[in-house]
Amino acid sequence: MSALTLTAAPAGRPRQTRWLLRLHRPALYTWAVLWLALAALLLALDGPLLNAAAEGWRQVRNCGMTERCTYDQKAILRYKDYYNYATIALNVLPFLVAGWAGAALTGRELESGTARLAWTQATSPARWLAVRLAVPALGVTVCTGLLAWLHHRAWAAGQGRIDSAKDWYDRFTFHAGGPTLAAMALAGLAAGALAGLLLRRTLPALALGVLVAGGVRGLTELAMPHLWPAVTRLSTVDQGFLGKGLVVDQGMVTSSGAHVPPPPCDSNASCDAAYAHFTGRYNTYHPHSDLWGLQLTTAALTLAIAALLVTGCFLVLRRQTGTLRAARATA
Amino acid sequence: MSSDTALRADALAKRFGRRGGWALRDCAFRLPTGRVCAVVGPNGAGKSTLLSLAAGLTAPTEGDLAVLGTTPARARHRVGYVAQDKPLYPQLTVAETLRMGADLNPGRWDAELAGHVVEGLDPAARVRTLSGGQRTRVALALALGKRPELLLLDEPMADLDPLVRHELMGTLMGQAATHGTTIVLSSHVIAELEDSCDHLLLVAGGRVRLAGEIDELLAAHLRVSGAAATTDLGPHSVVESRVTGRQLTALIRPAGPLADDWRATAPTLEELVLAHLRGAGAPNPTEERAA
Amino acid sequence: MVEYRIDRHSGVATYVQIVQQTKQALRLGLLRPGDRLPTAREVVEATAINPNTVLKAYRELEREGLVEARRGLGTFVRRALGAAPADSPLRTELEDWARRADAAGLEREDVAALFTAVLDKHFQGDPS
Repeated sequence: MSALTLTAAPAGRPRQTRWLLRLHRPALYTWAVLWLALAALLLALDGPLLNAAAEGWRQVRNCGMTERCTYDQKAILRYKDYYNYATIALNVLPFLVAGWAGAALTGRELESGTARLAWTQATSPARWLAVRLAVPALGVTVCTGLLAWLHHRAWAAGQGRIDSAKDWYDRFTFHAGGPTLAAMALAGLAAGALAGLLLRRTLPALALGVLVAGGVRGLTELAMPHLWPAVTRLSTVDQGFLGKGLVVDQGMVTSSGAHVPPPPCDSNASCDAAYAHFTGRYNTYHPHSDLWGLQLTTAALTLAIAALLVTGCFLVLRRQTGTLRAARATA
Repeated sequence: MSSDTALRADALAKRFGRRGGWALRDCAFRLPTGRVCAVVGPNGAGKSTLLSLAAGLTAPTEGDLAVLGTTPARARHRVGYVAQDKPLYPQLTVAETLRMGADLNPGRWDAELAGHVVEGLDPAARVRTLSGGQRTRVALALALGKRPELLLLDEPMADLDPLVRHELMGTLMGQAATHGTTIVLSSHVIAELEDSCDHLLLVAGGRVRLAGEIDELLAAHLRVSGAAATTDLGPHSVVESRVTGRQLTALIRPAGPLADDWRATAPTLEELVLAHLRGAGAPNPTEERAA
Repeated sequence: MVEYRIDRHSGVATYVQIVQQTKQALRLGLLRPGDRLPTAREVVEATAINPNTVLKAYRELEREGLVEARRGLGTFVRRALGAAPADSPLRTELEDWARRADAAGLEREDVAALFTAVLDKHFQGDPS
């Protein structure tokens, strides 16, 4: 007995990270391959693919109005396709993370009971979850951060050289090329982990994780334009809407100065009649200069949601395992 | 809370979900350290719930359970637990599983003992390829390797062949003998535990029906038989009684001298347990023992 | 050294079986004064019985003055038991008797019943 009590104080902390990486080695390898492929694609979009497409567009521009015009249409289309593939893939990454987190990180462990195995080593459930969230969070942040940077570089390089290049406020381009991508991936991780803890089953947790991540994404898309002060420009009715960028609100100005939505009309004559009594138009929008403001505020909002989801994870875990109760009892 | 108590339950209750039924209710008992305790009861009696409460895997709904003189959460590194379904990571090998045990239990791990329990298994075999009995041995190795002061085993021997069962039970008893490890084993087969255990916790319908040292419990009960017409069980508390033809047999807790014309024998543990499970109306001896 | 064999279905309490088997070994000269009994750990690892059962049996043997526990060393035999070692004249006589019983056509059960009856008559009140 005395020999046992002497060793009661654990020497050093349990080494969990190593085993987390070992247990999820297949996922790690898959992720690495996926990351390398995307990084290579984005580098190509900033290099050979872009140069060939830019040359094509230069040829188009030089054609002028001549009927017989030869230009490298293949290069143009190839660039466009690959740009879209890369952008969509980056947008999908957070959902992949969410599905994996729900299914493999928490759901499967709770379903098969291995979580209980881990909790009966010298590791508390809270620490178990903390490691399971922190280690992937670090990897996901670094990986998606780098990809977002590469994407932004590739996108920026195409501006002015590719006539069909996406605008900065294209929703997929926006969410692939900045800190919002990393934030969204972290939210996906938290959403998946929470789904797994709640459902304790692999496949339902996968589905719920992706669903919740989708909800987060939808919410941030809805909120995004309102997270940074927009610019409003007024114009006469004949000038049309002034200013190019992400439109928040557009409409007509009445004689009293009120902003109202444009009236419905379906022909030139009826439109002229409908517009006759307005004094002008207004256009509330985000110019290109708002890009980073919007990126950072959207990322911040997404991170705040992720933090809520993480809090939810710990609350669910504590309600299930009773660590909260114990902490209250000894407090 | 003295350090000679491995488990102490006070008005312990556990309900799953808000409207679910009670898995355990009004449980009060004390298990001293150094005992090998059989948690016996029918399937669904609450044995597993009790063990997972003690392992700090779930929280009690009401009441309190102290483990090694502290909360289950604080006792975590001193408690070993093997769940009924023996969960293990299927993708790890036997050797990796034990290495993980060493990494997750720093400062306590006994590699030699853990290795001894899985002797004969291929260390490079993946857990997913093992048979049920082999998995049980790996799970036990993981639990024993952390040199627990309290070892909680939920139906540990169910899928082992008799030879391995005997061998592993011997290893467990060796642990108890050398380190004074308190061992709690649940089973619905009493005969499986009778020789190994010195303490009994009889659980049925979510309640503790009987708790105490097996010797004392056996000594406190008598199996009597006599003529049904003349036998008056009178002042004794009757656990169970049956009339077959003209003969009455009963298991009683005698409260005084017995009538001369009765034949009285000491009950076996199995008789005692079965009688208590059938005659649920008997006064609960734990109330007398709680002190 | 003795090796205990526990019979789960004999109806005899486990610790009593250990006491009886130890005495048997003492009577047959398998254990002699100064010999060490197996440690509780050795016994329980081989038999899977509860350690406290072994300790209880050893305490009983110690109470009867047959063995003594030496701290940290183990439990040792203090004195032999009975005057009937394996090669004693009494045993030879008994062997003769058994042969004659066999020759007279007695079954094993008949011999056992006869022996138990005589045993009960002459050794009343002796538990072992």
